[in-house]
Amino acid sequence: MEDKELSPQESLDLIQQMIGKARKRYTDNSFYFLLWGWITIVASVFHYVAASYTSFEYPYAGWSLTVVGAIVSMVKGSKDGRTAKVHNYTDKMYGWLWASLGIGMFTIIFNGQLLGWSVVPFILLFAGIGTSVSGAMMNFLPLRIGAVIFWLLALAAFRVDPNQQMLLMASGVAFGYLIPGYIMKSNAKKNAI
Amino acid sequence: MPFEALDPLLHSQLRLAVMSLLISVESADFVYIKEQTGATAGNLSVQIDKLSSAGYISVEKKFEGKKPKTTCKITQTGVDAFENYVKNIQQYLKP
Repeated sequence: MEDKELSPQESLDLIQQMIGKARKRYTDNSFYFLLWGWITIVASVFHYVAASYTSFEYPYAGWSLTVVGAIVSMVKGSKDGRTAKVHNYTDKMYGWLWASLGIGMFTIIFNGQLLGWSVVPFILLFAGIGTSVSGAMMNFLPLRIGAVIFWLLALAAFRVDPNQQMLLMASGVAFGYLIPGYIMKSNAKKNAI
Repeated sequence: MPFEALDPLLHSQLRLAVMSLLISVESADFVYIKEQTGATAGNLSVQIDKLSSAGYISVEKKFEGKKPKTTCKITQTGVDAFENYVKNIQQYLKP
């Protein structure tokens, strides 16, 4: 590209072309969906099995993995932000959305005792908001389907005891995080980013 | 209605391309702008300096390890100038 003068039509075409280039970038956020999907499945299934079939005193021990997940997410997010060649508004909104939901989820879990440890329905509702908005921002149908599944499971979770809620949680993240996460990862490979 | 003169700073291929890219993103690295515009580093550097001197973009230069990293961001003055420029070329294109 040179420093030449343009006709008005050439100017308009150039503007459209460059805006299109900036918008075309496909964002691969599969890492976070897979990380949190697997952490939640391991922790919730462990919780259910330990509480239902063993006399293990701390069935919730697996949830300590979420601290590891939060640290890994923050370190990766910060590193990616520093090394990225371009910062989009979508990525920024996406980061704030999940950070806000994460704070909400941790607040609910931290105050779980006040809710009789019936926290899963609320977590599922929050996860549904995150996947639904992310799906809309990325124009990615599997996430929007995942959100509907999260919300349906939340409806069911309000009606079962906290231990059974763990199985609904595991199912929710399988459909809402893992399946969309793997599809996203495979699409990213196809787009060679 | 008389046609308004087009902003000479924006009415050039490379500077307009840079501004069109920056209006769509929060900030962009020099390397990214170079890749997207296909310009040479020398020419791009000169045009970025012109846009920066006019206050249309802000340029931050820092080091990432040992590598220099130049980040460009459009300013409010730049957004206003760009919008005004688009409005004016639309006047020229009206039948």
